[in-house]
Amino acid sequence: MRVGLVGAGFMGVTHAAGWAETDAEFVGIVAETTAEATALAKQYSLKIYPDLASMLPDVDVVDICTPTHLHHEMTLQAAAAKKDIICEKPLGRTTAQARDMIEACRKAGVKLLVAHVVRFFTEYAMAKASVVRGEVGKPGVIRLNRGSFRPKKPAGNWFLDETKSGGILMDLMIHDFDYARWVAGDVESVFAKKVTTANPNAPVDYGLAILKHRNGALTHIVGSWAYPPPTFRTRVEIAGDGGLIEFDSADTAPIINLVAKPSSDSPDVGLPSSPVAESPYTTQIKEFYSVLLGEKQPRIQAEDGMAAVQIAEAAIRSAATGQAVILESLSEVLS
Amino acid sequence: MKIGIMSFAHHHAEAYIANLRAIPGVELCGVADEDPVRGQRFAQAYNAPFFQTYEALLESKPDGVIICTENSKHLPLVEMAASSKINVLCEKPIATTVADAKRVVDVCARAGVLLMTAFPMRFSTPLMEVKSRLDSGELGQVYCFNGTNQGELPTKHRAWFVDPALAGGGAIMDHTVHLVDIMRWYLGSEAMEVYAQTNKIFHASEVEVETGGLEMITFKNGVFATIDTSWCRPPYWPTWGGLTFEMVTERGAVIVDGFKQNITVYSHANQRPIWQYWGSDMNQAMVGEFVSAIREGREPSVTGVDGLRAVEVVAAAYDSAQAGQPVKVQQV
Repeated sequence: MRVGLVGAGFMGVTHAAGWAETDAEFVGIVAETTAEATALAKQYSLKIYPDLASMLPDVDVVDICTPTHLHHEMTLQAAAAKKDIICEKPLGRTTAQARDMIEACRKAGVKLLVAHVVRFFTEYAMAKASVVRGEVGKPGVIRLNRGSFRPKKPAGNWFLDETKSGGILMDLMIHDFDYARWVAGDVESVFAKKVTTANPNAPVDYGLAILKHRNGALTHIVGSWAYPPPTFRTRVEIAGDGGLIEFDSADTAPIINLVAKPSSDSPDVGLPSSPVAESPYTTQIKEFYSVLLGEKQPRIQAEDGMAAVQIAEAAIRSAATGQAVILESLSEVLS
Repeated sequence: MKIGIMSFAHHHAEAYIANLRAIPGVELCGVADEDPVRGQRFAQAYNAPFFQTYEALLESKPDGVIICTENSKHLPLVEMAASSKINVLCEKPIATTVADAKRVVDVCARAGVLLMTAFPMRFSTPLMEVKSRLDSGELGQVYCFNGTNQGELPTKHRAWFVDPALAGGGAIMDHTVHLVDIMRWYLGSEAMEVYAQTNKIFHASEVEVETGGLEMITFKNGVFATIDTSWCRPPYWPTWGGLTFEMVTERGAVIVDGFKQNITVYSHANQRPIWQYWGSDMNQAMVGEFVSAIREGREPSVTGVDGLRAVEVVAAAYDSAQAGQPVKVQQV
């Protein structure tokens, strides 16, 4: 199995490290500029291609780690060439794009795997398994927090261009939209607000969303790009009629650093991390590799990726209109 | 100065007895209860003078009374106290409807007596610290809040907390007002609109009222805020619940936990960790402010109107939960 990577940003770097842990032939990379791809190409002995089209003949799998607004076009291109696809979250910039991508891959008979890495974080997967085992009964109110600093980029900061990234409600909070749906099921309505709606020039952003699930459960979701670098903090609380699960990355950090640092340099984008034997990003790539080999089923379907985009899109609409947004059922969206 | 307590329906009455006795020059002059058996029991337990009726307590001419009946019964007792020209500290929420809350405020204003709403969080030292940092300007402009006032099912304290006729509702009625009041205090702006969703998944078979609630409030100055009012804490949680909020400003965020100042005790007797609170007693400071306001003949720092504004938000939250869309807060 020959794998080609598209995108050499922080997520491309992360996926590359995962591929290196598999038996796949990791062969090529496409980046916006050759210069950006050079370091990865050197580290993993990859061939640098000028564009996706020129890489397609040499690979079986395309791993798309580009800015969100490019996912749709690249997926359609790879599907047309009958390549299996791994796509970073959000699956598409809009629900319509995501549906189109699913349809194209179905017609082409290729796999479409969406990288919602939170499902691969051990603590998140363990909490989900606990709910499935019935340890806390039926979830009633769920609280999911994800907070970091505003993404930086040396140039062309697409994260802050909402037409490209969808902003904080799409780019950051989609992780927890997906997780909420994984734990408590499909979502009926969304009400959301974010700081930059009323304050477009705010130096920070922060989103709040209230989801009502079809089974009556409620989820409160917080996304923050308001903290100073290098903060990355996540928190989960699942209250059920039979108990409560909670964890906070600040409380579960096994190491507290109180050492003087020569510099407080931070990456462009905050990433959650806790010292574990295998990075969740690598676990994800390994699982996807097994899925592509036909050895197992993925823990997330492309339709789940579309559903998360649908919730995020509803949150964006709610924040813009000030009204709660009622979601179409997935079967309605797909029909 | 003489202060009386009307009713032990609310368990806070017990704390107020100790608070009153800790203030020099203040005498707990008596207690009364519409349930004489309950009244006598607490009077005996706390060694307080017992009056057979509310009228008898009021005729003894206290300088003020603390009203601790069930939520829906505040109004008649406030009316009695006001007509006897006696100052009032009323448990929160001051009423279960906007009309009653308005009347509570009006009868006290007409009688010329002080009316204070029991919002103890105004006297929480961590919250006061954040308020002063906010006022100093060091935090810059406030954008939003993410608040929680979660708890266990309050029937552990009193059964009426889940009786819709007496409590006026469930988790939304119980746990909206504290954070609304804190935000009004911090922002100097009134709530304009509320979105709320409720459910009854926790304790579904035990109660009629909502036990889960999430709200999003928008203030007139554009600040928005969520409040989680849920009774989602299991009975074996290390404490009754809590009040937290994250305040996001142009400089970042301040995360505040009003009940974080605890020691954790693991006891064979309990078989679970218990948080014992060592922070300053906010009820003591609140009762102290009521006494000071009476002594100085001035408005207390938390007024009846503050209580009324919070009840208006609760009413809008219930309307929104019905409608599934945000609802404007009607100020009376």
